[in-house]
Amino acid sequence: MTKLDDLLAYEVVEGLTEGQFTAEDYVTTIIKRIERVEPKVHSFITLDTDGALSSARIIDKKIKEREDVGQLAGVTIGIKDNISTQGIRTTCASKILENYVPTFDATVIRSLKVNGAILLGKLNLDEFGMGSTTEYSRYQPTRNPWNLDCVPGGSSGGSGAAVAAGECTIALGSDTGGSIRCPSSFCSVIGLKPTYGRVSRYGLISYANSLEQIGPICRSVRDLVMMLNIISGKDALDNTSMSSTPISIPSRINKLNVGIIRELITDCDQEVAKLIYSASEKVKEIGCSCEEVSIKNLHYALPSYYTLASAEASSNLARYDNIRYGFDYPIGEYKWDTYFSNVRENFGEEVKRRILIGSYVLSSGYYGKYYLKARRLRSLLKLELLELFKKYDLLIGPTMPILPFKFGEKIDDPIKMYLVDINTVIANLAGIPAISLPVGFSNGLPVGMQIMAAPFEEQKLIDASYELEKVINIPRRPNSI
Amino acid sequence: MISKEDLEHLAQISRINLTENELEKFPTQLEKTIEYIDILEQIASDDSVTLDLHELEFEELRKDEIRISDEKQLGKNITEDGFLRGPKMK
Repeated sequence: MTKLDDLLAYEVVEGLTEGQFTAEDYVTTIIKRIERVEPKVHSFITLDTDGALSSARIIDKKIKEREDVGQLAGVTIGIKDNISTQGIRTTCASKILENYVPTFDATVIRSLKVNGAILLGKLNLDEFGMGSTTEYSRYQPTRNPWNLDCVPGGSSGGSGAAVAAGECTIALGSDTGGSIRCPSSFCSVIGLKPTYGRVSRYGLISYANSLEQIGPICRSVRDLVMMLNIISGKDALDNTSMSSTPISIPSRINKLNVGIIRELITDCDQEVAKLIYSASEKVKEIGCSCEEVSIKNLHYALPSYYTLASAEASSNLARYDNIRYGFDYPIGEYKWDTYFSNVRENFGEEVKRRILIGSYVLSSGYYGKYYLKARRLRSLLKLELLELFKKYDLLIGPTMPILPFKFGEKIDDPIKMYLVDINTVIANLAGIPAISLPVGFSNGLPVGMQIMAAPFEEQKLIDASYELEKVINIPRRPNSI
Repeated sequence: MISKEDLEHLAQISRINLTENELEKFPTQLEKTIEYIDILEQIASDDSVTLDLHELEFEELRKDEIRISDEKQLGKNITEDGFLRGPKMK
């Protein structure tokens, strides 16, 4: 029998409900794996193993008494540490929120708990979600389980690494410019950024709220479908959320027309391109057509993204003024300007840079030159993509233009770092769904393929991914750790 | 060109103190970022409608009624009579 810590989520649910093992045994196995692996990988900021075992015992009791345990009964999940969890510290990997304990659960957390998922702890990220390697975490960098000298991607690096390393069966991340897909690609797991509005953002601590979505990271398409259906839905507490049709595992798929984005292939590393071309042959093998397409406005996408994201960040992070949350300073007398500036000195460098750029692009004299232009580009890009989606069901390309790289390689040059997001920001700007699927390795380093679809067409993503998963057989767990 | 004075102005309006190290390296780094986003100038200005991200569903708005929130949700520094205590300013 498969080891308990290697089971996929749907296998855990089946095994538990059929009485093959107990939730307590399964969670204990996961905890033992964390003890072995965590000193090397550093996925977690906060672990709640006592809480997890206690939840496991409740699940076991419910199963024994034949009560409904929910669709994710007993499955261990790690939560990116920018998603609010009641009673569990939520830091956004920042010193500013080092002691912040939310008094409420994010809507997605409530949905997971109602369905029996077991929260293991909070996973590492780049501070406030700003970054692509998890190196900007103010706690510690997370390491790529496939090569511990390499970054796991970001900003949901803890989520990608934890799932790859078997420290939890599934995880939640958030994606503003690629922050689910990048670590999924670098860690050889599956990650989905849903259509903007499919999943409630209530409880997601904002970085750029017109761009970001919470999404699942896991090791099988079937697990992804389970998770997505549970966290999707219109929420009265998030007025940008919308109702959507549940996704199903396909029994057979219709022929899909697939476009491979020329600019993304020609501009990526050769080893990445090779694997993507090979994956595109698999796309044809599953009965889809595949031809090259071009996106005219692509080269404006990244500058537009960084303008908009920084502008929104400068506004969203203005709330960190040490009034409602922050540090325990003595009450006594301060000067108005210096009080706030002193507190906010505790942001990390990258967060400061983005706030400053945001202030710049929103300021008088520059607003029309940068921010309004970026908004315009966003509309143009979306129109262009919607036009392409009239002819093509899916658009594919490499998730990341390069292989996972070594720590410190890009951290001294912000532009070099920003350029790694070049393939992923398109989906955030246009609000469309995008998945990263592992497609192979080059010198032991994972490569992911990104598949995008029209708004609320996640079913087409799932159809293709489910079939591709069967024909692209890759190991889902590094044996080295 | 981002001068040290420009940077200090941005830091002031953002209410962020910068360390000596940051004051040293940020001008060049921010300038490179601004040079990078300068390409947006090539996009034509256009007064026509900016596409909404998606068509929001506006069902009936809720009634204009007072709902009592849990004061604990305001976080720390809540006084006994339900006020939020802030720092004392000179």
